[in-house]
Amino acid sequence: MKRTKGVSRRDFFKTGVFLGSGLLTTSCSPRSVEGGSYDLAKPENILYSACLQCNTGCGIKVKIIDGVASKIDGSPYNPYNLVPHLKFGTDPKIVSKIDAPLCPKGQAGIQTAYDPYRLRTVLKRAGQRGENKWKTIPFDQAISEICEGGLLFKDVPGEEKRTVTGLKGIYVLKDKDVMKEMGKAVSEIMQAKEANKKKELVAAFKIRFKDNLHALIDPDHPDLGPKNNQFVFMWGRLKGGRGDLIKRFASDALGSENAHGHTTVCQGSLYFSGKAMSEQWVFDAKDKKVKWTGGNKFYWQAELENARFVAFVGANIFDANYGPTNRMSRLMQSVSSGGLKYAIIDPRFSKGASKADRWIPVKPGEDGAFALGVIRWMIENNRINAAYLRNANKGAAKKNNEPNWTNASWLVRIDNDKPQAFLRGEEIGFPAARKQYTDKETGETTPYDYPLMVVMHGGKPAAFDPYKDDSAVEGDLFVDTVIKGVRVKSSLQIIKEEAFSKSLDEWARICGVSVDDIVYIARNLTSHGRRAVADLHRGVSQHTNGFYNVICWNTVNALIGNYDYRGGFIKASTYNYTGDKTVKVKTPAGKEEQKTEQPFNFKKMAPGKLSPFGVSVIRHGVKYEDSTLFSGYPAKRPWFPLASDIYQEIIPSIGDAYPYPAKALVLYMGSPVYALPAGHTTIEVLKDVAKLPLFITIDITVGETSLYADYIFPDLTYLERWEMQGSHPNMPFKVQPVRQPVIPPIPETAKIFGEEYPISLEAFILGVAEKLRLKGFGPDGFGKGVPFTHPDHYYLRAIANVAIEGLTDGKEVPSASDDEMRLFTECRRHLPKSVFDFDRWRKAVGDDLIKKVVYVLNRGGRFEEYEKAWDGEKVKHKYGTLINLYQEKTAKVKNSMTGKSLKGYGQYLPPFRDVTDKPIDDEKEGYDLVLITSRTILHTKSRTATNYWLNAILPENYVYIHQKDAARLDLRDGDAVKVVSKSNLDGVWDIGPYRKPMTGKLKVGQAIRPGTISFFLGYGHWAYGANDIVIDGKKLRGDKRRGQGIHANAAMRVDPVLKNTPLEDVYGGSVVFYDSRVKLVKA
Amino acid sequence: MERREAIKDIGTIVAGAALAASLDLAVSTEAEAKETPEVSLPGPAPDEDVIITMQRDLLKALKKPLKDRKWSMTIDLRKCIGCHACTVGCIAENKLPPGVVYRPVSEEEIGASPNVAIRFLPRPCMQCDNPPCTVVCPVKATWKREDGIVVIDYDQCIGCRYCLVACPYGARSANSGDLYTDGTPHREAYETSPTYEYGRKRVRKSHFSSPVGNAMKCHFCSHRLDAGMLPMCVTTCVGRATYFGDVRDPDSVIAKVTFKPNAWKFKEGLGTKPSVTYLL
Repeated sequence: MKRTKGVSRRDFFKTGVFLGSGLLTTSCSPRSVEGGSYDLAKPENILYSACLQCNTGCGIKVKIIDGVASKIDGSPYNPYNLVPHLKFGTDPKIVSKIDAPLCPKGQAGIQTAYDPYRLRTVLKRAGQRGENKWKTIPFDQAISEICEGGLLFKDVPGEEKRTVTGLKGIYVLKDKDVMKEMGKAVSEIMQAKEANKKKELVAAFKIRFKDNLHALIDPDHPDLGPKNNQFVFMWGRLKGGRGDLIKRFASDALGSENAHGHTTVCQGSLYFSGKAMSEQWVFDAKDKKVKWTGGNKFYWQAELENARFVAFVGANIFDANYGPTNRMSRLMQSVSSGGLKYAIIDPRFSKGASKADRWIPVKPGEDGAFALGVIRWMIENNRINAAYLRNANKGAAKKNNEPNWTNASWLVRIDNDKPQAFLRGEEIGFPAARKQYTDKETGETTPYDYPLMVVMHGGKPAAFDPYKDDSAVEGDLFVDTVIKGVRVKSSLQIIKEEAFSKSLDEWARICGVSVDDIVYIARNLTSHGRRAVADLHRGVSQHTNGFYNVICWNTVNALIGNYDYRGGFIKASTYNYTGDKTVKVKTPAGKEEQKTEQPFNFKKMAPGKLSPFGVSVIRHGVKYEDSTLFSGYPAKRPWFPLASDIYQEIIPSIGDAYPYPAKALVLYMGSPVYALPAGHTTIEVLKDVAKLPLFITIDITVGETSLYADYIFPDLTYLERWEMQGSHPNMPFKVQPVRQPVIPPIPETAKIFGEEYPISLEAFILGVAEKLRLKGFGPDGFGKGVPFTHPDHYYLRAIANVAIEGLTDGKEVPSASDDEMRLFTECRRHLPKSVFDFDRWRKAVGDDLIKKVVYVLNRGGRFEEYEKAWDGEKVKHKYGTLINLYQEKTAKVKNSMTGKSLKGYGQYLPPFRDVTDKPIDDEKEGYDLVLITSRTILHTKSRTATNYWLNAILPENYVYIHQKDAARLDLRDGDAVKVVSKSNLDGVWDIGPYRKPMTGKLKVGQAIRPGTISFFLGYGHWAYGANDIVIDGKKLRGDKRRGQGIHANAAMRVDPVLKNTPLEDVYGGSVVFYDSRVKLVKA
Repeated sequence: MERREAIKDIGTIVAGAALAASLDLAVSTEAEAKETPEVSLPGPAPDEDVIITMQRDLLKALKKPLKDRKWSMTIDLRKCIGCHACTVGCIAENKLPPGVVYRPVSEEEIGASPNVAIRFLPRPCMQCDNPPCTVVCPVKATWKREDGIVVIDYDQCIGCRYCLVACPYGARSANSGDLYTDGTPHREAYETSPTYEYGRKRVRKSHFSSPVGNAMKCHFCSHRLDAGMLPMCVTTCVGRATYFGDVRDPDSVIAKVTFKPNAWKFKEGLGTKPSVTYLL
């Protein structure tokens, strides 16, 4: 064993005999041949990309040794990792030796890519749905079968004679002009208010389009749209780029209205309250009228770097919440220096609570009550930002140096004691303004009347244009009066009355906290100017009353006046990749014009684009009353005029064939069975070939939902593919992290349009497009002679758009130096031609742009300089317009299950309700514990059980219960318990072939509100490699490590009215995670 | 001779091993003093991330002879968020097998609701100035280097596990040689990707290649220090709770944060003199 000669005796025996002496150098003593050679720090071994282990998408630095990703660290270029992040221009050679922080999931991502259970080729079902028997088939055969249809499963018992309609038979209406005209006619039908008028219009429609009626789902209900709508595409985690391709495929090419995301399973009501609060009173060119429109599906978050006090409400900051790496990097510095203190309002004592100034264990679902208590205290104690709130229009905001304004002072009509629409100037004698709309494309102008809004100013009514910036209008905040016979109140008066409808004692009692807790939060939020903020997340929104809970808390922030301020409430900002961003330019004549500056405007590069129309399967964005299906209340299933991407509605609606049956469903990167509350209810539909004739998934392995698929297409993981990650609202910097292939693809390669690409989402889309000759794909896919035959043709151009943004002001990214160009190709020496072909990449964007693209890719995206994000006390990238504290649009919506009008402001609504607003009182039947969920930083719901490094830290989750409850129920720490509820009396997952009991270990402690139990999501798998699976007659043994612990979603309450759907927030669309009462049974 | 067999025959090799160990020390001292890694950092800037400042401190320290440096770590428990980034970062960096963790983070719940807390305690090797683990080694395969790091020579170690027992912090473990993907349909290549511990690139050729069978422990990522980079647990610390550097440099971050009234050392009463300090 002496090493002085450089080789140990043992190594000599081991290597010399079997492997030859050539390898001896690698087993030499430390200071000989390779001394000091740390390959992980060499620039040629490093690629920068964006993580996707959770949705935060931090910057990553992937270190590759011999073609294998060996280590993943945080990228110092990216503000999600380093504070402040490095200058964008820093040489990648310097950065190769600097590592930045990254959470454990990010670092374990290697194990997502290199998972022994990854799929490499297409699987076709070889048994009944859910039986988990498969055969491998060639990619081309799979595409052919899916497109053509036929007796696809004639070998499966029971399906011998079942003819499956292929996509060819669903893609019926192909004429883009006919589709557009039909869409317009349907829009008129839906806008007609009278039932008779609707009938007349339908009759006229049938005559006008008599040659194409066969293309409709139901000619008597043209508003259901064409048969194309029976093709449904749904997705779980989706980011830019891939999202655009799916829309190009499902909507633009196949003409389906049904391309739906998963927003509501995350925090839908947070997004859709943000949409409601950001609707603007403007001219709508499509409808040719002034209306509330243009609201963004988005939300605000706290800017933590400069905050002085933060109330985190239902936000699991150390473990989740977009995300620990970027947010805690900022928070902990201020906390430890004493510059910031924060409180946690959450029934669960989260890790974040351990560093908080105060933990307030609020009752699940009563966050709105807490906020209304805070609002009451703020108004009573004159702690609202009255000067800010008085600004009624843009002019006033400008004059008072405010970045935005609210409608707090606007007057609302009160009829029958109920707030309705805003008072219009015309109603009290102020004529509407004359305005003119100019079409950006055609230059065509349309004149229109613009009704003005009204405030009281010093006791006198004043009408105004909310967006006029040369006249400042301020309004009185608390108004309750009659003007010319019209009863009116100011928005803030209405909110005040709601907040004053109960005493602080009552609010405290409702939400199960002390008055002191409410006063503590209110006082702290109003003691730091604009640098105090309430930061909200799923805990607020995923309740039956989530929409209103969020609006109440957003109102608190507005009363502080912290929107767009440092340390306040901010929004995300990204570099555009779609190429349609317009900038103001001055023509030589000195006129201002809007024009695009980027090279590839994908909206215009869409030849033959269809315009889908009709009610979607989830009935979103339209009112029940406007449809021809209206037949009184309740509707068969809820309608969602204020939301979209209502994940939990897709599969049960297909099951109920309401509003119409579907023929094919494609699911991408989602697992509704596992991820949805009461996800077991989806299994009944997925198993049923009559209700769902064709089911295709695109997945990296056989997951809990792809288990029921007819075909599974393997996919690329985030380390093998392209995406535009975008940003999150807590990030003040403008960014566009780019996800790019950093390791060779795991799946096999397919040949489509004559080009090779690994089997993936893109291969599926291009494959079907080739087979069905879809417009927008192929040799002329991006226009005559501009091919879209390889995914690079899209992605490289998208990155060129990112690189070029700012060109007009000379702010596009620099070109890569020759040195950087060399590094670029050297770093990719391990990638096959199907993925990296410099020539193909260069041709996609051209010789000039490629150097700018390389500059971006060498840094894993584009990131604004640290100093550029601030504007004095404000952030630079502002929301910058009207915030609706009162929402007229919401007030005009009716609950489709009750016929009752919605309230357009932050109201108190109790949680635990069914879709018809009836209380669910399972506690009366002995279901004595409220089940909530949470996430550990180690997992991302359905897809990280494959990460053994994470698994090693916490191999098994548990059901957490308060000591008092455990004592009452005579349960002990470590006991095996089963979770049962009124909608799952047996406490099982009924998977199909077998039943899996919902049993887990109990953990007893103090870190939760008594009466509440909790478990970490991400455990208790039964697919995803956790169980045996049969492929081509051979059994592939599962790995039990992946299945440990409990997944208790099936105990979550099924809606008693709908019976096949979890509880949901019928206003904001959220699916409900936290309003289920359960019992624990010793197992 | 197999390492595991060697244990039966300790007496015969002790002398040789001791010689090798002393030689290693000499070689590494010399090597460290000569090689200065080529790392240039942006800045300095007044508000730069402390990770960059500490890396700059590190580069300065590397210019000094090994014996004049004293690597130390200080963990601010007020900033630790219990995220386990350090634990996983370390496992991934050093390709640790199942069962081996150099830097676990323990979580302990204390108090009664609503006055509850969760205490996180990252536990690297304390790199004791008076290490109980080195003296028990029958083959002198482990010793304290002049710069403060307690190292193991994998080629000398016979896997007897005496040191595992001797360490009062449980900072040492034995390498079983198992892989996380053993028993699955595919043994994944990343698990046998080269390792760089103690500045030596090792490619696992068989189940018997070092460090399989050896004792293993945290070494402050000495291979990264040699390359001018901070230990993995420092660069990956989301809460910026882990400080590292040459505590003998009075201008360094580590020197400025370590000597505080709230400083605490783990099991100090045992006389181990840890180089790791906690701030409470």
